[in-house]
Amino acid sequence: MTRTLPWRRVLGLALLGFLIIGFPYFNTMFEFMSGWPLIGWFLVPFRVFQAMRFGVWLVVLMGLNLLTGYNGQISLGYAAFVAIGAYVAAILMTQYGAHVIVAVLAAGAFTGVVGFLVGVPALRLSGPYLAIATLALVIAFPQVVKHDLVSDWTHASQGINFYEQGTPPLPPEILKDRVDNNQWLYYCAIVPAVIMTILAWNLTRSRIGRAFLAVRDTELGAGQMGVNVALYKMTAFGISSFYAGIGGALFVFTEAVLGPSTFDINISLTMLVMVVLGGLGSILGSIFAAAIMAWRADIVSEIVGVIPRGQEIRIDALRGAIYGGLLVIAIITGPWGLAGAVRRLPRIKDRLVAGKFRFPGVSGIVYPAVRPFLLRRLRGAKSADPSRRDGTEARDEPH
Amino acid sequence: MAEFIQQVAIGLATGSIYALLALAIVLIYRSTEVVNFAQGEMAMLSTFIAWSFLNQFGYWQAFVLAIIAAAVLGGALERVLLRPVEEGPVLNPVILTIGLFTVLNSVALWLYGGDPKPFVAAPPFRGSALDVGPVVISRANVGVFCTAVVVMIILYALFNYTKIGLAMRGTALNRTAARLVGIRAGRMLTLGWALSAAVGAIAGMLAAPVLALSTNMMLAVILFAFAGAVLGGLTSPVGAILGGLSLGVIQNLAATYNPTSSPIDLPVAFLVIIAVLMIRPTGLLGKRTVRRV
Repeated sequence: MTRTLPWRRVLGLALLGFLIIGFPYFNTMFEFMSGWPLIGWFLVPFRVFQAMRFGVWLVVLMGLNLLTGYNGQISLGYAAFVAIGAYVAAILMTQYGAHVIVAVLAAGAFTGVVGFLVGVPALRLSGPYLAIATLALVIAFPQVVKHDLVSDWTHASQGINFYEQGTPPLPPEILKDRVDNNQWLYYCAIVPAVIMTILAWNLTRSRIGRAFLAVRDTELGAGQMGVNVALYKMTAFGISSFYAGIGGALFVFTEAVLGPSTFDINISLTMLVMVVLGGLGSILGSIFAAAIMAWRADIVSEIVGVIPRGQEIRIDALRGAIYGGLLVIAIITGPWGLAGAVRRLPRIKDRLVAGKFRFPGVSGIVYPAVRPFLLRRLRGAKSADPSRRDGTEARDEPH
Repeated sequence: MAEFIQQVAIGLATGSIYALLALAIVLIYRSTEVVNFAQGEMAMLSTFIAWSFLNQFGYWQAFVLAIIAAAVLGGALERVLLRPVEEGPVLNPVILTIGLFTVLNSVALWLYGGDPKPFVAAPPFRGSALDVGPVVISRANVGVFCTAVVVMIILYALFNYTKIGLAMRGTALNRTAARLVGIRAGRMLTLGWALSAAVGAIAGMLAAPVLALSTNMMLAVILFAFAGAVLGGLTSPVGAILGGLSLGVIQNLAATYNPTSSPIDLPVAFLVIIAVLMIRPTGLLGKRTVRRV
C-alpha cells in the first residue's frame, strides 16, 4: 500500500523548502517590501548571518533535547561537548588541512564516542547529581584546553582564529556568479541542520526513540519490558554528543575565534533554558529553542528600544533583567514550552467552540465582534472532523 | 610539613565560603527539591543591601537588617515566583532560578554600578593576620570559618530541637503526610527559602571583605558551592559544610602541588567529585532515595 501525501502537506513542505533555500535572496527578491512592518525586519541582509547561526543552534539544541527531553537526563555541561566538536574540527582544518566535510563528520564521530564513554559513569547518577557532575565538565574544560600538554594544538588561551589560519568554505566555481560567500556559508550551516532535523525526526519515531521515552518515563518499567536501560542511556549520551560535535564544528565558521571560554558555563545553562522554553521532548520545540537562542539578543534590544527615556534610566544595565524577566514569565505561563502551547491549540479551539474560553485584556472587547464569523468557521470545520474527542453526539447510548 | 598545613588552612578559609553558600543551597533543596541557581546572586544583592545600611548604621545593626531583608526577599521569591511552577515539569523551577539569577545580577548592576565596593569585615575579625604555630592566617578568613560553624550549630538546633524545625523536616520528607498532621506545608516552604536566603546573606557579608564586593562576586563561588553541596550530599547540612571545606582544600592543594606546568586545580577538584559520586551517587552524607514507581 502506498501512502498518499495530502496536498496540504505537500504544499506546506514546498513552501518551507522555498523559505529555507531562498532565504539568502529574499532581501533582494522582496526589496520593495523592506519598509513593511514585521516583514521588513526579516529583509535585512544581516538576518542571513543570523539564520546561519539559527541552523547551527538547531543542530546543537536538537542534540540536547534528545538527551534531556527524550531521555530525561539533565545535562548542564552540554557546552563542553560542543566545544570538543569545535576544537576537533578547527584543529583538523587549520593544522591538518582536512576537507570541511571530513572535519565536520570527524568532529561529530569523535564527540559522539566521548559522549558515549561519559555516559558510562553518568549511569550511576540522576537528577541534580548528574546535573552538577556534567557541570563539572564545562567548568574544568578551559584549564584542560589551556594545559601545556595540548596547547600546541589548541593554542592555549589565544584560541584558534579560523579565518586567519584556515580557509572558510567557498562556493564552488560553477556557482561563483550566483552565490556570494555569505550566502554559501548560510547553506553550509542550514543543509546539515535540515539533515540532522530529519534524522532526529526519524530517530524519535523509531525503536530507539521509543526506548528513550520509555526509559525517561519509567526506568524500572522499561527494564521490565526488556529495554536495555544502561545501553539506551549511554546511546542517548552518544547521539546527543554526536549532534553537539557536528554543531560545534559548524560553529567554527560562524565564530571568528574559538577560545577556551567560547563555550562557557553561561552558554551551557542558556542552552538548557532554551530547550525548556522551546519544549522538551519535541522536534518543533528544538526549532523554537534554536530560534529564541539565535534572536534572543535582538528581542531584548527591540524591547529596550521601545522603552521611553531609556538613556535617563540607564536601561542598558537592565538588559539582563528584561531577558531574565521574560524567561521567568514564559516559564510560569507556559510550563510545557512553546511547543506545548502549540500542541494545546486544538484544546483552545474546543473551548472556543464551547464558549468557555476567556479572552484576556483588550481581546475581550474585540472578540464579540468577530464571534459569529469565528464560530461558524470552527463549528463547520468540526462537524466534518471524524476524530472528535468531546463525544457530544455519543450521548444516546443507554447507561 | 609546615607548608602543607599552611596550604590546608588557606584551603579551609576559601572552603568555608563555599560551605556557607552550600549550606544555603542544601536548605532550599531539602525543603523544595529545587537546585537554586540564584542563591549566589541573592547573597550578592543582600550584601549590597548591607553595604547601603553600613552608611547609616553600625556594623551589627547593618548585619542584622541585611539578614532580615534577605529573608523577606527569599520568602517573597518563593511565594510569588516559585509557587506557580511547583506543579509543572521538574526542570521548570530550576530554569526559573536561572532566570532569576540574570534578573538579580542585572538589577544589582543597575542599582549599584559595576565598580567594586569596599566592605569591612566584622569588628572581631579585622586587623592583622593571626600567627598560630606554623600557620599564618588572616582574621577575615578565621571569621568566615567560625561563622560557618556557628550557623551550622544554630541550624542543627533549629531542625532538631524546635517544633518549627520538626515541621520543616516533616514537610521535606513527605509533604502530603505533613499536611495531614496539620502542618502548613506552604508556609514551611516559604520559611525554608527565607532561612536559606538569610544564610546566603551571612555568606555574602563574610565573603565580601575577602573577595571585594561587586556584582560578579558570587559567580565563581556559587559553582563551587554547588559542587560542595553535591559532594557532601544535597540533603545533608553537615555534608554541605564538609563538602564545601574539602573542596576548598582539594582545590588549593592541587594548585600548590601541581606536577605539571600549567594550572589544573579545577579539573582535579572535579575529578575528585566525580570519583566520590561514582562510589556514593548521592554524595558523602546524602540519603539514598527510594523512588516509588
